Amino acid sequence: MIQPQTYLNVADNSGARELMCIRIIGASNRRYAYIGDIVVAVIKKAVPNSSLKRSQVIRAVIVRTCKELKRRNGIIIKYDDNAAVLIDKEGNPKGTRIFSAIARELRQLNFTKIVSLAPEVL
Amino acid sequence: MLPSSTLLSLAGPAGPASFPGQMGHPQTNSSPKPTKIFRKKVLPLQRYSINGLNLKRRNSILTFAFGKEAKDNFFSDVGEDTDDMYDELLNNYGKVVYKKTDQKPASEEIDDDSESLSFAVEMATVASEVKAGDIKVLFVKPLVYWTRFFIIATAFSRPQIDAIGSRIRDRAEKKYGKIPNGDSKPNSWTLLDFGDVVVHLFLPPQRAFYNLEEFYANATAVELPFENQSPFPSERGAFDLLDDDAES
Repeated sequence: MIQPQTYLNVADNSGARELMCIRIIGASNRRYAYIGDIVVAVIKKAVPNSSLKRSQVIRAVIVRTCKELKRRNGIIIKYDDNAAVLIDKEGNPKGTRIFSAIARELRQLNFTKIVSLAPEVL
Repeated sequence: MLPSSTLLSLAGPAGPASFPGQMGHPQTNSSPKPTKIFRKKVLPLQRYSINGLNLKRRNSILTFAFGKEAKDNFFSDVGEDTDDMYDELLNNYGKVVYKKTDQKPASEEIDDDSESLSFAVEMATVASEVKAGDIKVLFVKPLVYWTRFFIIATAFSRPQIDAIGSRIRDRAEKKYGKIPNGDSKPNSWTLLDFGDVVVHLFLPPQRAFYNLEEFYANATAVELPFENQSPFPSERGAFDLLDDDAES
């Protein structure tokens, strides 16, 4: 359940460390974002000397949420943190590697690029 | 080993418990439940043999129970009894292996693999027809569960990516009836997801940037027919030539 003002960890090696969600893309007045949704975010913390700077506005895909993700077969997945992966307008990831496990729902939502860079798919 | 033991532990109490049930044992109410679970999980063949076992065991307990006094029967240690039963079961019938019913046989898996291999090689051939560079087909099934083959290719411009993508789409749809997910527009990293086969088309800078080959370095590369003009037919060709020479 990511809404504007939610702080997100960054799950890739793009150079950003922390994001703040400022808008959820989808319907006009959407309240929450879940795994696989695109949000507009602002970089709150970045690694020094990286191409991404603090206060830059970018797009990101939510890959992990504390809110549980339910599957049809009864499996429930909930992560310890809220995390996102930075993407550009075309949908290509900004980083080259993803850290820690992500959910397979991303593949169905056409984020196979992120899935193919991830070390583990749940 | 572990599944077999759990199976047996489920089966174990059911046998002896069902008999004292007839004698008015207080634990009888719980006895039918484990048997039910157990029967559901086991394959038909195994179930058959185990059922036979349980019956046998019941008979033997029968004799045992009548041999002793009724008191002994009520307060006898069930643990020891079941241990003995396990040993006997193992001696007579060996270990029962638990198996999922929805698992495919190995031969079917291999068939699926070969089918997607032929599909992947075909797609790689199509890419090489449109002059994609540095084509690699990786067998990634041992590394990731979600797909079987990766095709990684470089195109040198966006129009070329478009050309390769549309050719691959056409061939896949016409010959195999598969429609890919993924990018519909040409992109600097265009991805076509056919389920078992995932095609990555890169521009050269993106290929170097994402470096997928390094990430999947442990995957085995599949040899492609167009790469070194397949040694086997060329050798045969050479032999034919030699024969021709000899005849002439």
